[in-house]
Amino acid sequence: MHSLRPNFDRDLNTLFDQLLAMSSLVDQALERSINSLTERDTAAAGGVIADDTHINEMRYQIEENCLKMIATQQPMAGDLRAIIAVMHAVMELERMADHAAGIAKIVIRSGEEPPLKPMKKLMRMSELSRQMLKEVMQAFVKRDEAGARQIAAQDAVVDRLNKQTVERLIDVMTKHPRAVPSATYMMWVSHNLERIADRVTNLAEQVVFMTTGDYRELDR
Amino acid sequence: MEQPVFDIVNLDFYYGQMHALKKINMQIMPRQVTALIGPSGCGKSTFLRCLNRMNDTIQGAHVEGKILLAGKDIYSLSMHPTQLRQKVGMVFQKPNPFPQSIYDNVAFGPRVLGLTQDKASLDVLIEKSLRQAALWEEVKDSLHQNALELSLGEQQRLCLARVLAVEPEVILMDEPASALDPIATLRLEELIAELKVAYTIVIVTHNMQQAARVSDWTGLFWLGELIEFSDTKAMFTRPQKKISEDYLTGKMG
Repeated sequence: MHSLRPNFDRDLNTLFDQLLAMSSLVDQALERSINSLTERDTAAAGGVIADDTHINEMRYQIEENCLKMIATQQPMAGDLRAIIAVMHAVMELERMADHAAGIAKIVIRSGEEPPLKPMKKLMRMSELSRQMLKEVMQAFVKRDEAGARQIAAQDAVVDRLNKQTVERLIDVMTKHPRAVPSATYMMWVSHNLERIADRVTNLAEQVVFMTTGDYRELDR
Repeated sequence: MEQPVFDIVNLDFYYGQMHALKKINMQIMPRQVTALIGPSGCGKSTFLRCLNRMNDTIQGAHVEGKILLAGKDIYSLSMHPTQLRQKVGMVFQKPNPFPQSIYDNVAFGPRVLGLTQDKASLDVLIEKSLRQAALWEEVKDSLHQNALELSLGEQQRLCLARVLAVEPEVILMDEPASALDPIATLRLEELIAELKVAYTIVIVTHNMQQAARVSDWTGLFWLGELIEFSDTKAMFTRPQKKISEDYLTGKMG
């Protein structure tokens, strides 16, 4: 259909492009923070923390663009829902970057502690979370409700991995009291990864809201 | 559940050969604001004017189906248009005060209908109507000034007072704010919110934000059909029909 509102469509496309760019930075932050953990690279961890400011600024910039569109274009129905969903999404992405920075801070704090053997389950959680993030952003721009629901369902896997990780770490701490500080740091990492996957689920909920108008908590 | 004020059943309306309204079914609930939206020529004003038989005088116009007001067919022989229009008043797009004093404008209906017995009770009714229309404070010291000297916003509120003076049940408004500036428009919208406590209001508007702000129910007309009729919040946030979505988002119109 020939659009009667090219300016609005252009602004909305720009908004989605900015959202994708931001999600890509968040994904990089997550990758870099996990690499800094496995490599015990405190300099790289410092970089993740420093770059978090840039992601925060992007959030505010995109929110401002959303406000401008609401104020000047008075969007309705699906358009209004799309802009509201973007506003929620940038908040979720910004918090995901905070979790990545949280992992980086743990790397710096745990620098003195004897290294604990990297845990496969943590790596798997990180891979899954990043994959979920990529997929949910695709669902967002394609307005793919069914896809978003499938992604949210994967959160249960991350939750299970987190539970298993925590149980394993408690076991380590019980048997090796000297490993308590390292194991505690690892638990925090696991918690941050679990929260990142939760926020992917929140993003999936925004896709459902944008496409249907339903605010619904998706199965976790 | 409350009974609807208007129950519109399978309404068809024709201007000669032109089928202007097609099988409209709608219930208008008491003391609620119902907004009618849609592009020019979609039938929303025609529909509004059916509700107090303002289309009667148009040559070749005819109606099929039923419009029940409190259960009674307004197109039945026993319903006199004057009696109907007392119950169902109308405010038009452009303020149309009579070239008379403010007082005489508001007194016109009560005098014709013999609603008051003496000057004192007429004075009371006029003050009440002007107060309801949020105009009293501005005009109480100049009731005998010519109404055409008022600003457009004041003239529109005077026309509303003129409707209120005959104590209607329903007020129809056909683009009542389209000739008003933003401030006068907001005052009128505030007034609509106050009046719905006592009156049922049906408003036709081209301004979708206005429909969203003032109404409880919204009907979207398209090529003579009522495409969607739902509560206003749902209509403007998650319309069910594609035509509604496309119209509201400006993808067509």
